[in-house]
Amino acid sequence: MSGKAKEKPTVQSRIVPVVLFILAAALIAASIGGYALQNAGDIKITLDNMRMGAVLHTASEGLVNSIAQQARADKLAELRKDKNFRKRGLDEVNAICDGAMEEARAAAEALYANPVVQDQAALESAIETFEAALAEASILSAQEKGVFSDLYVQLVDNISNWTEIAGDGKLDSEILSSLAAVAPGVNDAANSHLQASFARLARDMAAKQQAKEDGELQNQLITLMVGSVADWTEYSGLDQAALWDQLTADVPALADNERFKDALLTAAQEYVAAAEKGEAITAPAEAEQGADTVSETQADYSYFVPTEALTKEENEKNEAYEALKAQLIAIIPDLGGLSAKLQTTLRESLEKVLWLGDTDFSTRYNAYTAHQSGAAAESAWKLTLASLAKPLLLGGIAVLLLGLVLFFWKTLTTRFGVPRTIIALFFVYLCLLAELYNISVKLMLGNVLERMTMYGVLVLAMMPGIQCGIGLNMGMTIGCISGLLGIVLALQFNMVGFAALLFSCVCGAVISLPLGWGYSKLLNRMKGNEMTISTYVGFSFVSLMCIGWMMLPFDNPKIIWLLSGKGLRVTHSLLGSFAHLLDKLLAFNIFGVKVPTGGLLFLALCCLLIWLFSRSRLGIAMTAAGSNPRFAEASGINVNSMRTVGTVLSTVIAAVGIVIYSQAFGYAQLYTAPRQLGFIAASAILIGGATVSKAKVSHVLIGVFLFEGVLVFGQQIANSVVAGGGLSEVMRIMISNGIILYALTQTGGGRRD
Amino acid sequence: MTNDCILEMNHITKRYGSNAVLKDVSLKVRPGEIHALLGENGAGKSTLMNVLFGMPVIHSTGGFEGEVVFNGQKVNIASPMDAMDKGIGMVHQEFMLIPGFSVTDNIKLNREISKPWAVSKILSKDLEFLDTKAMAMDARKALDGVGMSIEEYTLVSGLPVGHMQFIEIAREIDKSGMKLLVFDEPTAVLTESEAQQLLRVMKDIASKGIAIIFITHRLDEVMDAADTVTILRDGALVSSFPKAETTPEKLAALMIGRGDESVIQVSKRTEEIKGGVAMSIRDLWVNMPGEVDKGVNLDVREGEILGIGGLAGQGKIGIPNGVMGLYEAAGDVTLFGQKLPLGDAKAALKAGLAMVSEDRRGVGLLLDQSIEDNIAFTAMQVKGDFQKGLLHQKDSRAIRRYAEEMIKELDIRCTSPAQPVGTLSGGNQQKVCVARALALKPKFLFVSEPTRGIDIGAKQLVLETLVRLNRDMGMTVVMVSSELQELRSICDRIAIVAEGKVVDILKTNASDTAFGLAMSGVKSKEGEEA
Repeated sequence: MSGKAKEKPTVQSRIVPVVLFILAAALIAASIGGYALQNAGDIKITLDNMRMGAVLHTASEGLVNSIAQQARADKLAELRKDKNFRKRGLDEVNAICDGAMEEARAAAEALYANPVVQDQAALESAIETFEAALAEASILSAQEKGVFSDLYVQLVDNISNWTEIAGDGKLDSEILSSLAAVAPGVNDAANSHLQASFARLARDMAAKQQAKEDGELQNQLITLMVGSVADWTEYSGLDQAALWDQLTADVPALADNERFKDALLTAAQEYVAAAEKGEAITAPAEAEQGADTVSETQADYSYFVPTEALTKEENEKNEAYEALKAQLIAIIPDLGGLSAKLQTTLRESLEKVLWLGDTDFSTRYNAYTAHQSGAAAESAWKLTLASLAKPLLLGGIAVLLLGLVLFFWKTLTTRFGVPRTIIALFFVYLCLLAELYNISVKLMLGNVLERMTMYGVLVLAMMPGIQCGIGLNMGMTIGCISGLLGIVLALQFNMVGFAALLFSCVCGAVISLPLGWGYSKLLNRMKGNEMTISTYVGFSFVSLMCIGWMMLPFDNPKIIWLLSGKGLRVTHSLLGSFAHLLDKLLAFNIFGVKVPTGGLLFLALCCLLIWLFSRSRLGIAMTAAGSNPRFAEASGINVNSMRTVGTVLSTVIAAVGIVIYSQAFGYAQLYTAPRQLGFIAASAILIGGATVSKAKVSHVLIGVFLFEGVLVFGQQIANSVVAGGGLSEVMRIMISNGIILYALTQTGGGRRD
Repeated sequence: MTNDCILEMNHITKRYGSNAVLKDVSLKVRPGEIHALLGENGAGKSTLMNVLFGMPVIHSTGGFEGEVVFNGQKVNIASPMDAMDKGIGMVHQEFMLIPGFSVTDNIKLNREISKPWAVSKILSKDLEFLDTKAMAMDARKALDGVGMSIEEYTLVSGLPVGHMQFIEIAREIDKSGMKLLVFDEPTAVLTESEAQQLLRVMKDIASKGIAIIFITHRLDEVMDAADTVTILRDGALVSSFPKAETTPEKLAALMIGRGDESVIQVSKRTEEIKGGVAMSIRDLWVNMPGEVDKGVNLDVREGEILGIGGLAGQGKIGIPNGVMGLYEAAGDVTLFGQKLPLGDAKAALKAGLAMVSEDRRGVGLLLDQSIEDNIAFTAMQVKGDFQKGLLHQKDSRAIRRYAEEMIKELDIRCTSPAQPVGTLSGGNQQKVCVARALALKPKFLFVSEPTRGIDIGAKQLVLETLVRLNRDMGMTVVMVSSELQELRSICDRIAIVAEGKVVDILKTNASDTAFGLAMSGVKSKEGEEA
């Protein structure tokens, strides 16, 4: 009876994929038709006509607009001469002016809206020449600016102390060799034209940094001075020299900083004056300390210098434009009389019409139709089809994939589990969407790889927790905080390079050992409620450490709040320490995808170690204790101590994980920043196919790739679809939390009964 | 005669798939009689009662054959609610009481007496007030009926177990129109005096004309209270007769009743076992839920197969679990002259003990791991076998070799040693359990319910394996089983456990009567001197 009931839906479920296959075939056929049309002769002619129309339209519209504006200005001037001008209200004046403007516009449109082209061939060739020159110049310029921007970002991101590189009296060649140590591209022969500007950049940055440091130091000295001097009135009546002697006697630190003597004396005198008036003495408010959020470095193009080739291209472009302008003036003579400002506007509009940045057919089509409505009504459907060729193709592939997935649904879900199947399909769809929106998939893949190295070890920390039976270890934030402590200690002792990285890892691991042990004891008393307890412990430990970060006796001025002189800042740049150290190690580009080799190797090493551990006697015992405690007990295994092993291991890996995370991110963030990490790691491993009771290394790797992939692509695409830069952060939160929520609903996925 | 029966169940047959658990069983109960229903575990008593109550488990597996006539009419009982409406009540083995409610509330639950007021008259009957006074009076009457002196307003939580049993009964007799009451092993949790009181109450109820079906294992209670006795065995009706015509010995023999028919043919041992004592158990108390032992004394001779039998819940399974340290235990156990610490599984395994657990899927296996990993697990953990190199890496090759050997030896049907054991059939899973125990190369093997839930072919193979281990390798085997036939076919001696104690140790060829009596806690003349 039940057998028959199962048969029926399979027959029905076959219908849906078949329908999808037919739909996919139709879409792909349509797109092939579209691509064929794109290359057909008559469409090309239509497009050429439309292009010419668009150029003329732009020119005439510019002229009409300028005439209308002029008419309005003239009318206003005329009214001003009238002695009754002041009696008229603003509204009335506006109405009169607008009326005059509309009148002039109508007249101008009647004159110029449909310009008569005598020598169509000449105009067309002029347009074509300009378009070609424009394209060449634009491509070259984009290339050069890209190289410049790359180098600029590399330099600015990786040089923590500009004053060291461009100190006083250094020669350009010395500066350049120091810069090349950070970004070897600076010394490339192809970039020789940029070298001078980079030297200038280094000097400017050094000066800026010096000024900033001086300001900070001066501020600190004044703060110190205010804090140390008990009674300012005692200083009243002293002359400069005596005052300085007295001050340096009271506050010895001032003596070491003679450079600021004048500023300090001025400040001291102000305080003396204030004290005599009986006003309260307060230290100057401290400048905003290192922003909490880290923004991306943007290239400053004022340092950009073009190559000779580019200059030549630019010149050719200008010539071609002059020729085109001459042609246009021949058609619309009044164009010649436009003011210089309007001339520039006109040129910009024309360039926008003719240079689309991307030769993508649909963008071009859209641009043309925007400028020239109804110009080619007779072949509109062909044009539309041609312009939709790419979306149709991508849509066809998407539908085909959906059909295939539904067709093999049973096989896929039993092999990979529902969540993995759905997220993988979602990821492929995002890749298709990225292609549709002309987002560089390669760049994004590089981004995904980078984020894999960033989160990989943290996600790995989930694995021992799941294996030993405590489920998703949301309390891994304990380990994260230990790791952050390690990093901060490394910064405190001014450590740099691999030594700092190693020190942070080892130190974090050592701190996390006793914490993890205590945490596991708590979990052992709370069997069955581990998820609740671990989430709570994770959150409350973060809160506890918010107090801790303020209280711990760190005193390196680089990491503490300058004003109060104690407590750690929120964000610490690791640029001078070990930022991107692993990612840069052996990094290379392949097919335009940036591969962070060192980071990936480290992740692989960690995975290998965990894999070896899970095959060892202890690891096998731990896994058994997690998946079936009674079985383990019957084999003489102490389940509680196995849970402790797993929990401590998870915590220690989390400590190493946060160090790796911070080196990839370039910044160590304290206080509430680690709070969400547990959820991210849990979601990634669940998406990878793990359950709350079973996890493998492959789940970690697949999970972190899919999670970060969906996040990176999803965010970019959401930004493209929903225009407006402000949405980026909102979208990031929505997408990442959405994935987390979905993953958590799938905790039972792939379980065998 | 037909007309004066309150309940007639005629020719009931119930199959689960191809397996018939009830075969043409008929039952007739007259008003006002106490009708004892006897049978071993798995004889079909519970299934018969499930049919009577129209339990979903019956309907969802294809219903049953035969007819039920209640109160002179052929009825179709669709659900337990339906049965209740018709006047059939049940006193459950597990108490169905709400601990936080008072005795009255529990007795009157869902049958509350209410009185109307203004709002309830307009809106709904659901808004009526409870008539607590009337309810308390009813509850008092019911409690008096079962001879309970406790106050009706006390909370159920914290009452002794015996009291809860009586409250259950009070609830049933408070229902008006009750015609038939089923007592499912009501005395299992009661003390001697409480059990006596219960039997008095039952007789009292019966005297009011309510029929009682009394399911029990205690033959003395049957002899004391029952009017008529029906005995089931292996899903079939053995016989049904008035109590006056029988004796406890006769009942015991009928319950067991298979004589010498063996499950498998094993060459019986010709010479007596001469070995010394392998394991000596003295005053073993085991706190295993549902299988409590209260002072077991047992000697296992070296080289023998000792069977431990008895009814479910009497404590036979507690013995191996207690000795192996899986449950809290107290007492003295010596193994080959060495004292064995209790409550320490690792020490027990190291001392050369091994156990095949009765809870195959729960304790016996890691269901989602492969056959080979399951087989190697305990040996690797306890003895350090199957490992190599740094970090005690598992030696996959050695494990594979051993697993393949075992698969051949025990005829484990699988696609490869890497197949997850969760996908194997019950019998093959059991063989994996045995293989895991053997990997430890034990001197002494406990096998607990090895044939539970596996098909007949696998059963024979498992039993033959046990005999071979014993004969060829000289392994001392203790087999715990609810199936007496199995024990009789391969064991040298059989210890019968009842109420947490070893009642009797019998030869395999002892009479059915001796076994039957031992199971209900009576030592016969045939047994060994303890």
